[in-house]
Amino acid sequence: MSQRVSKEELRQRAEAWIEAGKMVAGPVRVKAGTVLYAPLPTADALLLDGWIRPANSIKEFVFPRHEVLYGYSVGAAGITLHETEPEPREQVIVGAHPCDAAALPILDKLFNWDYRDDFYNRRREATTVVTLACAVHDEECFCTSVGLGPAAERGSDVMLFDARDGAYEVRCLTEKGAALWGSDVERAPANKPMEAAGPERRFEPAEVAAFAKEHFEDPFWHEHALACLGCGACAYTCPVCHCFDIVDEGNARCGVRARNWDACQFALFTAHASGHNPRPAQGARQRQRIYHKFLMYPEKFGEILCTGCGNCARICPVGLGVLPVVKEICHAESV
Amino acid sequence: MSALNGFEPKIVAYVCNWCTYLGADLAGTARLEYPANVRIIRLPCTGRIDTNLVVKALEIGADAVLVSGCHPGDCHYSAGNYHARRRWILFRELLEVVGFDTRRLHFTWISAAEGRKFQQVITEITEQTRALGPYRPYESPALPPREDGAARPAGVLEKNFEESRRELREAARRLLEEGRVKVVIGYGARGPVFITKPEETGRLEWNANCLGNLTVYLKRPEVRALGAAAVVVKGCDERALVVLEKESQLRRDELQVIGLACEGLGQAKCEACETHRPSFADITIGNTAAQGATAAARYAELERFLERPREERLAYWTAEFDRCLKCYACRQVCPMCYCERCLADKNRPQAIDTSTHRKGNFAWQLSRAIHLAGRCVGCDECTRACPAGIDLRLLNLSLARAAEIQFDYRAGMDPAREPVVGAYSLQDKEEFIR
Repeated sequence: MSQRVSKEELRQRAEAWIEAGKMVAGPVRVKAGTVLYAPLPTADALLLDGWIRPANSIKEFVFPRHEVLYGYSVGAAGITLHETEPEPREQVIVGAHPCDAAALPILDKLFNWDYRDDFYNRRREATTVVTLACAVHDEECFCTSVGLGPAAERGSDVMLFDARDGAYEVRCLTEKGAALWGSDVERAPANKPMEAAGPERRFEPAEVAAFAKEHFEDPFWHEHALACLGCGACAYTCPVCHCFDIVDEGNARCGVRARNWDACQFALFTAHASGHNPRPAQGARQRQRIYHKFLMYPEKFGEILCTGCGNCARICPVGLGVLPVVKEICHAESV
Repeated sequence: MSALNGFEPKIVAYVCNWCTYLGADLAGTARLEYPANVRIIRLPCTGRIDTNLVVKALEIGADAVLVSGCHPGDCHYSAGNYHARRRWILFRELLEVVGFDTRRLHFTWISAAEGRKFQQVITEITEQTRALGPYRPYESPALPPREDGAARPAGVLEKNFEESRRELREAARRLLEEGRVKVVIGYGARGPVFITKPEETGRLEWNANCLGNLTVYLKRPEVRALGAAAVVVKGCDERALVVLEKESQLRRDELQVIGLACEGLGQAKCEACETHRPSFADITIGNTAAQGATAAARYAELERFLERPREERLAYWTAEFDRCLKCYACRQVCPMCYCERCLADKNRPQAIDTSTHRKGNFAWQLSRAIHLAGRCVGCDECTRACPAGIDLRLLNLSLARAAEIQFDYRAGMDPAREPVVGAYSLQDKEEFIR
């Protein structure tokens, strides 16, 4: 038997979490035409409907775009390293999309496969995700093509389903979620009629992988990358793209070592100090993005590095993105 | 006084090797006393001072910055100080709009013979800065976000594009068939398309979603490799070609330009558009009765913004820049950002912090804006491309307005005019250099 919560009650809960000192983030209309996941100053800012999905993703709450790893200072006694980051605050992400929540278990694998990344893990452990199942989608959405859907539960701690009467059906999926909500973990399977129809299946990921495997040198990559201008908007708004760069900032006496997001579409990403660049043209960089998502990551971790959110295509200033490219691949394959 | 509040301002002075540095030397040898608060950094010429250095000094602990060089007419390299003067005129305007406290910025001309002037300037700046108190970078009071009104409806214009679209496809087909070009860069169903065969010209589109400025592709090596190009432009995009040609980035005679008359595509820029009909294109398609906007309409939103107090302006930009992801979409879509290696990508040493902390974002955003001063043609592609919705348009407008008011110059409007940055005039007027 699932519980119900009205939109007003959800806001009250969010307000209570904020008052309890938690960092509460959710979709916010930062200005006309721009909805982003952002920390909520008050629960009033929480935007529950009237949009498809935010232009960023929730990854920045577990993997910030700029994160100080440690500080250094040089004194008479030599070099001292010091921790700069206190234990992360408890955080609740409310109103996440299933395609955002599903990104977290994917990122978990990446940040723990050969090395346990404490910076990521600490934030991840402090995070509870309250997901809002999708009631609407647009032509860029393709979660169903990558094995997810508008009510996919993966990565969520609590799931809310729009009952279309101003209230949500609540399902607590994990201990963490149950603790946040103050109820028990739901064991019964989801009530199917609550699910909205997701976007229709647009392509078969195995076909993309098969094409990629056989067509490394195919002119296709070069042709479709002609339009690509080489910005990082696709990677930075992607829920699962996770590349980073390590930088030192400071002077001879003190400073910090930090990690910042980086993106494979930048020419500088693979540029060697010698001047050689193993991915010399945009075609090679676009190919890399599709390879990583549909071939390399699945080979290593057994799943696709894409949750079908469609942000890349929605945000790309020149109309590229995962879906337009893989549709072309699959179309070409079937012909 | 300083002993009472314990505050001793730090003044960073970027000075020219040939004049002010020697002026400081003279002050020393003449035993003229001046406050020890100044840290002098000697540079070959004021013309070599990157505006980023001014911002950087404030960020790393300076309370005021002085830039000082040779009197007009005295430059060791004949014109470095004239170039510097132009840049500072524009840079100060930018800082005004962003809400910096320009009382902390000082510009002077001090010759090698003016030891006493150096003494006076340093003494006055130190006293003024002491009165202002310590500089606190980008501290912002919490403010409600700026009212933007309703979002503009995208692509809902009920206009008839059909006839022009047909003509466009026909013109492109002819160019390819006659072998005058190897590729037509135009708009397709989703974004830019590169048509190389006459039979593919049916993929060319012209509708309310044709927002991009395709001139950005003319500099891309992959596109250049395709051979002689024709590019499809709207009146607003076409202005970029004028600037690119002036900056020796393209040869107009090697390029075919297909211009589209445009009544506006529902964007902010369209409301004040003066170039509904391209004026330099080789082929112009369509016609429009739309009229140019008045000069008042051009900067109306900026004028409204400037009515806000300085602190509020700074708070606004702090909130805007805080959202910057450094995805560099703004740079990549810009036809004017054609440097093979951007200042932001110079990492030996790092010229601009790659981090997206406040300091790094201000450094990037201010550098981007000032590098486009007098060059930005207002196509607004940066604003459209920004995933974080940062109002780059307003920053660009501030510099466009400065170039127009101060130098009667508008980028891309008149092929006969010399570019505003990279040129100078002995008559350039300002009131802030002592």
